[in-house]
Order: sequence, then C-alpha cells, then structure tokens
Amino acid sequence: MDKSIKDIFHFLCASLLVVVTAAALNFVVDPLQIFRPARLFTAMYSQDSRLQDAGLIRSQDFDTVFMGTSLAIQFRQSDIDRILGVKSLKLAMIGSSSREQAFVLAAALTRQPRRVIWEVDDWIFHDTPEIDANTHLPADLYRGNARGIAGYLLSGTVAREAAWIMARSIRPLEPAVARLTSEVLFKFSVFRVDDINTLQANEDVGATYNSKRAIAAFKYITDPVRAKYLKDDTDYDMKVRVFERDAITLIAANPDVTFDIYLPPYSILQWVALRDTSSETLKSVYAFSAYFCRRLMDFPNVRLFDFRSVRDVTHDLNNYSDVIHHSPAVDLKILSWLAEGKYRVDRAQPTVYLDRLTSQVESYRIEDKKR
Amino acid sequence: MLFNSYSFIFAFLPVVLLGYFAASRLGKLAPVIWLALASLVFYSFSNWQFVALLLASIGFNYLIGWLLISHHLRAGPRLAVLSAGVAGDLFALGIFKYAGFLVANFNAVFSTSLAVNILLPVGISFYTFTQIAFLVDAYRGKVARYALPHYALFVTYFPHLIAGPILHHRDMIPQFESSDSKRPSPHLILCGLIIFGVGLFKKTGLADGIQSLVALAFNQAAPSFDQAWIGALAYTFQLYFDFSGYSDMAIGISLMFGIFLPLNFNSPYKAASIIDFWRRWHMSLSQFLRDYLYIPLGGNRHGALLRYVNLMITMLLGGLWHGAAWTFVAWGALHGVYLCINHAWINYGPPIPRLLARPARIVAFLLTFLAVVIAWVFFRADSLTSALFVLSKMADPGQIVFGHTEMIQGALIAIYAAIAWLAPNTQAIMGYDHKNRRVGENFGAWRLRPWLVYGGALAFAFGILGIQQHSEFIYFRF
Repeated sequence: MDKSIKDIFHFLCASLLVVVTAAALNFVVDPLQIFRPARLFTAMYSQDSRLQDAGLIRSQDFDTVFMGTSLAIQFRQSDIDRILGVKSLKLAMIGSSSREQAFVLAAALTRQPRRVIWEVDDWIFHDTPEIDANTHLPADLYRGNARGIAGYLLSGTVAREAAWIMARSIRPLEPAVARLTSEVLFKFSVFRVDDINTLQANEDVGATYNSKRAIAAFKYITDPVRAKYLKDDTDYDMKVRVFERDAITLIAANPDVTFDIYLPPYSILQWVALRDTSSETLKSVYAFSAYFCRRLMDFPNVRLFDFRSVRDVTHDLNNYSDVIHHSPAVDLKILSWLAEGKYRVDRAQPTVYLDRLTSQVESYRIEDKKR
Repeated sequence: MLFNSYSFIFAFLPVVLLGYFAASRLGKLAPVIWLALASLVFYSFSNWQFVALLLASIGFNYLIGWLLISHHLRAGPRLAVLSAGVAGDLFALGIFKYAGFLVANFNAVFSTSLAVNILLPVGISFYTFTQIAFLVDAYRGKVARYALPHYALFVTYFPHLIAGPILHHRDMIPQFESSDSKRPSPHLILCGLIIFGVGLFKKTGLADGIQSLVALAFNQAAPSFDQAWIGALAYTFQLYFDFSGYSDMAIGISLMFGIFLPLNFNSPYKAASIIDFWRRWHMSLSQFLRDYLYIPLGGNRHGALLRYVNLMITMLLGGLWHGAAWTFVAWGALHGVYLCINHAWINYGPPIPRLLARPARIVAFLLTFLAVVIAWVFFRADSLTSALFVLSKMADPGQIVFGHTEMIQGALIAIYAAIAWLAPNTQAIMGYDHKNRRVGENFGAWRLRPWLVYGGALAFAFGILGIQQHSEFIYFRF
C-alpha cells in the first residue's frame, strides 16, 4: 500500500482516538452534570449562568425557579429557601432578554416546579435574534437533543474543565489544583451551588453599595454624550409584542404553575435620569408598565408585586452600586416582601403602585451637592 | 457554511471530494462543473439571496473578458469596454458595500436623515477584485480564452470564495484545466489534511481561545493601561491566527483537490520593517494592490514625491477595501504613513554600522510590531472616537490594575506571542512551494514524518474539539 494512504489512515485514526478520549472524559466527569449528579468527582459550578443553567436544571432538585437579570443574580438560594419555605433553583442571567429567560424557564418547567419567582425589568422585552442564533446560550443542550449532547461531548473546553475537575478530585493534588483554580483559566471554579454569582464573603459591601457610586453612575448615564442611549428605549409596540410572545405565552401554557412576578426597586435616580434626559422614554416606559400590569391580571396563576415605589429603599442611595443594582440587604427585603405578600398588585387597581412611582418621580429633586 | 463546522468537515468536504474524483471518470470537464456547482451550494448555505448576484457578476465579467480577448476591437473601444467592465464591478461593490457609508456621511454633512439598508454579500470584495484583475489582464493581452466552466470555477472555487486568498486567473485556470489535479493523490490529500488540521487548530484553538480578552480594551467603559494593552495585543494575535488559520484551511482543502493556492501569510509578526510586514501579511491582497493599483498609478517611476502619494492612495483604498468606515480609512492611512517613513528611511536615513546591525534589527522588529498593534486598534474599534479612547488608555500608565487576573491574561498573551514570533509557519513545516507546485517533498525520507502525521492529527483533533457554534472568521465581513 502507498505510504501516504497508510499515513492518511494513521492520521484519521489518531484524530479519532483523541476526539473519542475527550468525549469519554466529558461523559465520565460530566462537569455540567448533564448525565447525572456529581458522584465520582467533586461537583464544580460555573458563574456563566447561560451555560451552567442547562446543567442545574437537570441535576438539581427544586420546586421553585428563580429567574431574572443582574438585578436577581446575587440572591442566595439558601435565603430564598429559608424565607419562602421552598426548594429553589436560581437561574437568573446577567443582561438576559425575555427570549432567553422564557427559553430557560420553559426548560426548567419540564421538571414540573410549582412556582416561578420572576424578577422583570421592562427593558428585557426587546427584539433579539432567535434563540438558536444566540452564541452565549447552548440552546440544543437545554433541549437535550443529539446535537446539543454531541456538542457537549465533543467540546475541548469542557474536556479541559473535566481534566481539571478530575485532577482536583485526586486527594494529593487537591490543594495545589484548588490554589491554581482561577476563573480566568477555568470556568468551573465554584464549589457550592449556593455560591454561584453571589457576593464573596470577603467583599466590602459598603464600598460596593453607596450613594457616591450611585450618583457617579447617574452622572455617567445622563452625560449628554451617553444620554442618547436612554432615548433609544421608546418602542412601545415592540415591547408589547415581545412581552406577549415570551412572557404571556409561557404563563398561559403553564396554568398549574404560580408565577410570582416582581418589578424590582431601582433607585429613584434611574427614573430621574429618564425624566431629565428623555421624557419620551419615560412616557413609553410608564405606558408599557401600565399595559404589563393590566395584562398580567388576566391570569389567575400570576401574583404581581411592584417594588418600584418603596420609598425607604429607592430613595436611600446607599443601597445601590449604580442607578439600578441594589445590595444583598435589599435582596433579603424583597424575599420578605414576597413572603408577606407586601406591595402585591391589586387585580382591581393594577396601576396603583405605578401611579405612586409617577408622582415620586415628578416630585423628586436632586440636591445641588449631589450633582 | 463555515470551514470550522461539523457539517463542512464531516459531510460537505468528503462528499465533494469523492464526487470530484468520481466525476473525473466522465471526462475533464465533469469534475470542473461538479466543483463549480459544489462551490455555489457552499455559498448558498449562508448567502442564498446573493447567489444570483454572484452568477450575474460572473456572466458580466466573462462577457467583458470575451470582448477584450476577441481582438476584434480597436484600441479606443477596447479601453471603453474595459472601463465599462471595471466600472460595472466597482458600481456593484459600491452599491452593496459603500452606499450605507456614503449616505451616513451625507447625512452627517447635510443634516439629512436618508436611510439605506443593504446587506453586504459575503465575499463580494474578494470575487470583485479577482475579476477586475482578470479584465485588466485581458485588456493587456495577457489572457488566453478560458471556457466558461473553468472561469466560473475560478471565481466561485469554494476554498477561497468567502475570504480569499485573492486568486489570479493565470495561476488557477491552468490548474483547473490540468488532468493531473483530477486524479486523487494520496500524498497531496495527506498534506492537505495536515495543513487543514493546523489551520483548524489556529482558528478554533488559538484565535477563538483569546477572543474574550479583546473585550478588555474594546468593550469596557474605562480600561486601565494594562487592560487596554492586553486587549489590543489579544486582538493582534486573534486576527492573525483567525485569518492565517482560514488561509491554511483553504490551502489544505484545495490541496486535497490537487490545486495549489497562493500563500497569504508568511509569519508577518516576525517582520523587521513595515515594507517587510506587507510582504508577509495578506500577501495576495498586497500583490493585487501593487499590480493593479500602485503600479498603474505610476508606482515609483515618477520621482520620490509621487511615489509617496501613490503609496498613500494605495493604502487608503486598501483600508477602504476592508470596510466602509472611517476606522478602516484611518488604518490604511496609518499604514501609508508607515510605508512612506520606511521608504524615506531607506533612502535618506543614516547607514547602520555593522556592529550595531543586530541591536538595530531588534529595535526595528519591536518598532514594526508596535506600529502594527497601534494600527490594529483603528481596525478593530467601532469608531474613530473609540479607537482614540483605547489608544489614550494605552498611553496612560497612570492607572494600572495588574492583579492576579491580568497576570494570567498577560501570560496567555506571552504564549501567543511566542508562537507567532518563534514557531515555524505552516508552509515551512510542510515544505509548501506554491510556485513549483510542491509540498512535503522531503516527507518520505524524513525521519520526522511520524511526528508530522501524528502532530497534524493532534492539531486536527484539537481543532475539532475547539469548534464552537457560530464562530465566524473575522475576514468574512470584508
């Protein structure tokens, strides 16, 4: 036989061997716990929630799903469980759109939880590409179809993580590997599910959340150079269409699931920024908000909470790291309000809290020293 | 369809390869038609709406070429036909690539709000330039008559269609006409597989692997000095491994069909001058710009001053070829200035004493690399403001983070730099000689043969394992 033909054969066999070895490693270690909960090796988790959620949905026991954007990302599952008396699974994703959230929630609902707690911002309802064109969210892995599983097994990145988790599970190597584990090199750097995307114990909360930072953020977004971004958000019809497509369809398709939907307490500065730079945007947000509240009241399985006008929180700028993101202390307050049923929107008067917010925004004056 | 996709590697390529050699039993023309049709299928996977435009462009240029080659025309009408052909090509390119840019500038100057939304057909810059070269050569009488299937394949040939290399008809069409390329050569297929494997690894392992660091400079509100540098350097290496990976894959695929494509890269970051850099970076574009723009403009034949003017024009248009944005114009202008300085230094600079030759070469190498990195900031940035902002951060050592994360990122950059600066390139490893149609000549006798075969297999396997969803090549957008 021609030597080159033999070498082609060797080339293909050697390639196949490497690929099969990597796939076997991924299957056995299973860093995302797609096939089984971690038993043989230490369970490790990634902060990349769009990827990690696909594994969490399959590997965790839960009766309640917690969804949202960065506003909900730092909640601890242990706090949710303790305060609300549930077994929760946090699936919040930073900067997520309603399309992503609805897709991940739909995947989680196949495990038949009883309740969904959903933090909703009005800006998540915007046109985004189809879920299969989303480069950050492995849609086929959520679906568990052949392409998704093959992509997972044939992923070199997963193989690298698997090898690292394997090394970490070997007792003499564990301390050295743990020391070298860094999120820059390895995605799966978190030990406990409860610690995924939460503030570290050594984090200085006071330095992160204070009025100085909130005011600096306010100045930044209202700077004339950047204020144009605030003016972009005026397409009411698009928001309604996307809201109907993503949220309403999901709620209507799951009448046995209770949806506790809440509107988070942004700092008053967020609204004032809109008031002062683009009253058109503010009007559009109010209009969509009114539609949102009224529409959700059509569904008996929805309980809507509106925390946007909770003055004690929203006017105390020390609660914020910028104009919207609140501290872990406010996370706990939100859970208490949910447990107590406070600020729940009345079906007969769905826009009472919105009206209260509107008058707060109108009357709020920024002191000169803050400017 | 992407080279770095399972569907291409495991379905399209094997089927087209088998079909090509099977079709060769039906005569010399059948494999050419098969390959041209396969190329159209390849193009239509992600650009079906522009297949008609591609076919129209081929038909138009073939007709113009036919008129120019036929020798029935006198000098005046021939020039008119050529002008019409080139103008037609540039008009189509202008409509699809530059109309939005022109309208945006018109709006900015006259405060109007005209709107133009035209999708950019992938590969249009490449197939337009390829055909302009054909028309110009036809006018110069340097083109023999080609059959339509061969010409169509020359334009659509899928290994190069989307992102080059920019092919030359005199190099390619004789290869398509040759009987040799239609017989399967195990040696060429093996070499092609290895080169493809190396290219795939460059793309999915190296370029995609460093992509996230680019955001440190270009997607952050306020990068620090070190983060801006890490981001700019990361883009420098990402672009190189992405585009040279693509070019290696194109060469490797083509070799399996028995066709030698021209080289596009020759370790450009090893260059010790900007002139040298442009002899090593995107070589097929440099050659095109030299032969069909710089030299027709007069090149260096009309004195030093006009030479610099011609260099500037060539590089400005070269920048604009990459994209309809002022950032690309700035990038081209910067390289034009670099080239002028380089030529001026050669002509008027002091001679380097022999003793200082080595240190001077090191300084020249560092200076060249630095100049290239600075220019890439314009190439990558969304706007001139954004580019100047990143550059201002790179020039401001007042704010340095350099924490644990930045140290690891810096180490990663150092590994990429070591590969780009110290490792031999693919053609050196494989002994690829495009001009003499040779590759791996010493392969058989070489004791390192198993290393090459198994090393290539490893690169191919790692390349497969690195495939991510939707990871397009950067040069697709040009």
